[in-house]
Amino acid sequence: METTTHDPTSKPDEPELDLYTIPSHSSWFLWDEIHETEKLALREFFDGSSFSRTPKIYKEYRDFIINKYREEPSRRLSFTDVRKSLVGDVSLLHKVFRFLDERGLINFSAPSGNNTSLVVVEDGEDRSRIKIEGVVPNAVRVGASPNSPKPISVPPNVVDNAVLNGFKFLPLASYSDVFGDLVKPKGLICGNCGGICDSGHYKYTKGEFIICINCFKNQNYGENRSMDEFKLNECAENKGSDGAIWTEAETLLLLESVLKHGDDWELVAQNVQTKSKVDCILKLIELPFGELVLGSAHKYGNYGGLNGSMNGTKQVQLSSSEHHEAIRLEGQCHEQINEMEENGDTVDQGHPSKRQRIASLSDAGSSLMKQVARISTMVGSQTTAAAAEAAVTALCDENSFPREIFDVEEDHISNGFSPPTASYEAERVFKNEESKTKEGLTQSETANTPHKRDDIPLTLQIRASIATALGAAAARAKLLAEQEDREVENLVAIIIETQMKKLHQKIKHFEDLELIMEKEYAEMEELKDCLLAERIGVLQKAINAGISRWRDHSVKS
Amino acid sequence: MKAPASTFSKAPVKFRMPTADNLVPIRLDIEIDGQRFKDAFTWNPSDPDSEVAVFAKRTVKDLKLPPAFITQIASSIQSQLAEFRSFEGQDMYTGEKIVPIKLDLRVNHTLIKDQFLWDLNNFESDPEEFARTFCRDLGIEDPEVGPAVAFAIREQLFEVATQSVASARESRLSKKGRRGFEYVPASKAGGAVLDLVKLFGHKSSVVRKRKEWEVYEPIVDHLSNEEVDALEAREERNFRMILLCK
Repeated sequence: METTTHDPTSKPDEPELDLYTIPSHSSWFLWDEIHETEKLALREFFDGSSFSRTPKIYKEYRDFIINKYREEPSRRLSFTDVRKSLVGDVSLLHKVFRFLDERGLINFSAPSGNNTSLVVVEDGEDRSRIKIEGVVPNAVRVGASPNSPKPISVPPNVVDNAVLNGFKFLPLASYSDVFGDLVKPKGLICGNCGGICDSGHYKYTKGEFIICINCFKNQNYGENRSMDEFKLNECAENKGSDGAIWTEAETLLLLESVLKHGDDWELVAQNVQTKSKVDCILKLIELPFGELVLGSAHKYGNYGGLNGSMNGTKQVQLSSSEHHEAIRLEGQCHEQINEMEENGDTVDQGHPSKRQRIASLSDAGSSLMKQVARISTMVGSQTTAAAAEAAVTALCDENSFPREIFDVEEDHISNGFSPPTASYEAERVFKNEESKTKEGLTQSETANTPHKRDDIPLTLQIRASIATALGAAAARAKLLAEQEDREVENLVAIIIETQMKKLHQKIKHFEDLELIMEKEYAEMEELKDCLLAERIGVLQKAINAGISRWRDHSVKS
Repeated sequence: MKAPASTFSKAPVKFRMPTADNLVPIRLDIEIDGQRFKDAFTWNPSDPDSEVAVFAKRTVKDLKLPPAFITQIASSIQSQLAEFRSFEGQDMYTGEKIVPIKLDLRVNHTLIKDQFLWDLNNFESDPEEFARTFCRDLGIEDPEVGPAVAFAIREQLFEVATQSVASARESRLSKKGRRGFEYVPASKAGGAVLDLVKLFGHKSSVVRKRKEWEVYEPIVDHLSNEEVDALEAREERNFRMILLCK
């Protein structure tokens, strides 16, 4: 029997069923045969040039190495492990080993260790990366540049931190993966307290260590460092494209100027005085609806008269959104929304005849909770509690209006809700078809026009829009989490299924073995009987012939 | 280099190092006025001989040795090169030749013992690559171990090559030369050529028995300072005794 029986489930040519996930580029491999690829790459075995190199020998080498690897797939098999067990020229064995390694027949789920002997040295100061081949001999010092005497020392060997125990699962996408880029902490992080160093930081002269100004003042320098080893490094405001911090005010200015000037980045940069042209463009792209603003700026062309009203609302928005420091994302979100709202309004002043589109929303009429429930049916099922709570608490926390106002002014609020929501809806549809949503936008805005004249305090309206935006964003997050959950369940189910199959196969195998054993046992029994019969026959003959049995002798003596 | 695919019988191989690059192992061990200079490296025999003098001068200058060493080093290298060249053009062997190579060396704080097979007909073999893989797999960080291992392999290959030239000449003279599986009787060569039929034949497996795995497994010991000193002292003593005997 071949040595494959210790794992009957491994069929390397069916990667989906295989317990060992073989990389698909090696699925040509077959246990029982030698593939053309192998024949091409390892010609020596197949040209009959030597007694010690035959296909049979090659197959033995190959099977042994692969089985050896599969004994522990999570561990990287090294050449030295196998060469002691195989008879043959080590260079040739190494060639076979390398071939199997490169083609993904071994070491495919092992962590890739320090394969190359290239040591990468990163020089902190100049950010230059120098690759040093092999290990630097003691007498040689590698300089930073051809003429500088400053040596670069090789950092201590990075031990491979790969997981050695068991199979390593791919990390699931999580919030930070999806939204991480948007919520990137801009600027440097203090090595001591972990907070962001805004205005300046102290850099340790003897190594890579930064502490913020607060820590420096409190004399928390970290272990073994003293005060005079730190150097103050003022964080310039215009630091350039990496690490530029955009405050709310700047973002608002940017959006405003983009809407006004569209593609004219010179003017935009002028308006946003503290940021350069490139920064503005980058920031706009980064914003989730940045490009849409650009689009809308084109559409709603030159509304010079907008400036006055927009500035007014911007101030208010500024004060409100400043409170939402932690939720800048949503802040930017609803800035957009409100801008579109404003845009829509002014456009609509010329189209009073358009009907309300979302009549159902404004019909809700009743309290805030019900309103949010309505919204949640549109955005997702789990969001009701979360969005409502979050919105209400957020709003109640930071402004002085008592809760009752919401209940009292329900009608207005509910109506105030609809346009932002609708416009948010419009946002999403926007991504698909621009022209359609343009109309939708204008239509939904009409719902606002009659109420614009009412004496709803603008701030409340804005509050309300913030709340909805919050809710919707939370809804999307929940959806994502839901999806992940489902995926995880799915994968776990698949794993369990595969394990079950494996177990079934093993059981079957053992049953087969049992059968064989039983048959053998029966045979043995037969043999025994045979032998016994023979013995009896012999004894019979002996007695008949009158030969005394040997035992009689011992009785005598 | 190799004759084309005629099954198992070949034209005799001309003398050269059986590795991908034909480099001669040169060992230097010179003592002048109590100062001892030991070194081991590989030399390319196709380099012009003028390079030897240049190399000797440079070495002495770099290591700040007394100038008396220059001539000694140069002459030592020259003689070893000459010996190598004297074998060139002669036949080495015919047919299969797989020899065992044994490693038993100490480099600074690392002691290495190992044994494996090497095919003298494999002209793509590379001792340096073997040494690299060796150090990498066993996690040896001392950068001097790799070259030492490669050198040891080369030395042994050189020895086997020269011996097989001698024995090839003898067997030709005595008309015992057999085509096909020519194997030298064990008494002749230092490293016995293996019985290939037994190893690679149809009835046997090229997978070793488990009890033999230990024999062919590399053993790497990291010595402490005291052990290193003790070993060095013993080596010195041996060296002195050999010198005296001469």
